[in-house]
Amino acid sequence: MSQSYEDRRSALAKLVVSGVGLITAALAGLVGLVAAPRMQPTARRWRRAISTLDLPPDQPAAAVLADRQADGWYETRKQSIVFIDREGNGYRALSATCAHLGCRVKWDEAARQFKCPCHGGAYDREGRVLAGPPPAPLQRYAVRVNPQTSEIEVEL
Amino acid sequence: MRRLFRSLAAWLEDRTGYRTIRRHLLEEPLPAGTGWWFTLGSVLLFGLGIQVVTGIALALYYAPTPDHAWDSVRYITTTVRGGAMLRGLHHWGASIVVVAAVLHMIRVVFFGSYRKPRELNWIIGLLLLLVILGFGLTGYLLPWDQRAYWATVVTINIARLTPVLGDWVAALLQGGTDVGALTLTRWYAVHVMVLPVVLGGLVVVHLYLMRRHGISGPVTPRVGSSQMFFPYQAARDLTVAAGVGILLATLAFRGAPALEPPADPTSSDYIPRPEWYFLGLFQLLKYFPGRLEVIGALVVPGLVVTFLFLLPWVDRGRTREPRQRRFVLGLFTAGLAAVATLTTLGALDNPSAGAAQWNIQEIAGASLIQSSERCTRCHGPEKVARPIEPGRIGQPPSWLDAHVADPEVIAPGLRPPPETNEHETNAIRAGLARLRTGSPPSLDPATTRVYVLFAQHCLSCHTIDGVGGKDGPNLSKAGEKLDPGMIERRIVDPTEVQLDAEMPAFGDKIPAEDIRALAQWLGKRK
Repeated sequence: MSQSYEDRRSALAKLVVSGVGLITAALAGLVGLVAAPRMQPTARRWRRAISTLDLPPDQPAAAVLADRQADGWYETRKQSIVFIDREGNGYRALSATCAHLGCRVKWDEAARQFKCPCHGGAYDREGRVLAGPPPAPLQRYAVRVNPQTSEIEVEL
Repeated sequence: MRRLFRSLAAWLEDRTGYRTIRRHLLEEPLPAGTGWWFTLGSVLLFGLGIQVVTGIALALYYAPTPDHAWDSVRYITTTVRGGAMLRGLHHWGASIVVVAAVLHMIRVVFFGSYRKPRELNWIIGLLLLLVILGFGLTGYLLPWDQRAYWATVVTINIARLTPVLGDWVAALLQGGTDVGALTLTRWYAVHVMVLPVVLGGLVVVHLYLMRRHGISGPVTPRVGSSQMFFPYQAARDLTVAAGVGILLATLAFRGAPALEPPADPTSSDYIPRPEWYFLGLFQLLKYFPGRLEVIGALVVPGLVVTFLFLLPWVDRGRTREPRQRRFVLGLFTAGLAAVATLTTLGALDNPSAGAAQWNIQEIAGASLIQSSERCTRCHGPEKVARPIEPGRIGQPPSWLDAHVADPEVIAPGLRPPPETNEHETNAIRAGLARLRTGSPPSLDPATTRVYVLFAQHCLSCHTIDGVGGKDGPNLSKAGEKLDPGMIERRIVDPTEVQLDAEMPAFGDKIPAEDIRALAQWLGKRK
């Protein structure tokens, strides 16, 4: 075999291998592009939670804040639960989502704590961790009272 | 006829060489003493086959969207002929595959079969185990019931603990901002397309490598002639597979796995639990609070898997004899015992076993929803609004409260509700809130009737079993002090018994027979 034949053969082989590599890379790029998550966060805004008149005297009240949210091609009703409570002369709003793995905490009136049913996390009335695995306190949201309607509004 | 068949076979052989392939596949010489322990791989293959077939059958009906997934699974279970059995087979089949895979792995470890030159096949086998667990994880979401949704929320949050890449990994798994439509289609695609392709490829490589190096055989080579796989070992494989098949069919015949109410991201009282083969991991998480979480979630499982991958290089003695490999086998056995213990502890620590019972007000409300003109004039088959079904209530509690008080909330112009009783409204609210999460207990009509009466007339002043007003005495144990006759007289006209009684008389508000039933029921409460 002549040297030039060997050269041409190996050059062609390299060409084929890089061609296959290119096609594979292009396909992988496309799949990666398509598979990338689609984030559509909703903008924060003030939402009505509960009327000050409806707030029980000595325990936090759960308020459901409903909102429509795009979920890809689907429109979902996104519902967030916040606990509204009195704090000094004002109010506070705590997320009902456990800081551990995202289960819903509940107010346990007997123990006077927020308790998470999943892994035993417990928070005090202000959302501070008392027991269990949560790495952080319950998330707090900004609160204001609408003077016209006496509604407590939460920025969420 | 026979001649035609024979010539057809000859033609096929000439064109494909299928006889050579068949001979190669079946006439595998096995070392002497290859016995029952070596059937576990075949059983696993059998289980995987069942999963493929039942999975394809399920895919004929399943629709991976939040609006339809739950309904399509319910349709499969209740309406499709053999559908309940099909779901049962796929559900229990998954457990059987996991058990068979783990037993197969234990066999390989104790026989030292991963030793040189079979290290690579050990690694392929471990990858297969991870793929199988991936099937379990992704399949768990698909019914889109409460358990599916909340277990997935937890899974994704565990992935979020990954150092540095956590949020990115979680987003990739979730597909969107929250667990929702994009998560469902994504996990469905992985469950029915990606994982099966990977599984198929790995199985082919696993079997190829098994044939390339041959079966490892007994720990100490036996003297004797080797046996062909077919029909000797094949007969053992078939026997065990048939036994497992009968077990699987029995489990599946007892019915489809429970379908919980549809996924409800707002429910606050749902306690998610993983499938049993993840219970050990679930339990492990409880021992690592706060910032240590990542240890239980990722570090410990990661170390275990890494140790398993390195096993052929950790255990490199001269013989495969278990007595010469005490350290490695001891460590492996301790690991198995730890997994078994954690799984058992996880199974025992089951808070949902004590889930709250329906109270009287909720039962009364659920009954009123089905019977009261207030609800039934619009809700029902072929009426303007859909029937109110347990677990099929999508609106948030605040909306429901407003709607019960004033149905015009959704339908302006609707005629106002008939004369409403405030206590009845409260019962309907309580019943609706509870119906979101499931079906009421089935009680006989007479008891339900009494509950409704109690909710309509008594509950605003009297507490019973923890619900109700506090103006009157607690009636949870009314029968301890009064007999039914006394109670009946008190309800008809309390002043007849006690001159200064504050309780109003009900003799002209409730029919006499209903008062009697109420009194009988209260009198029995001790």
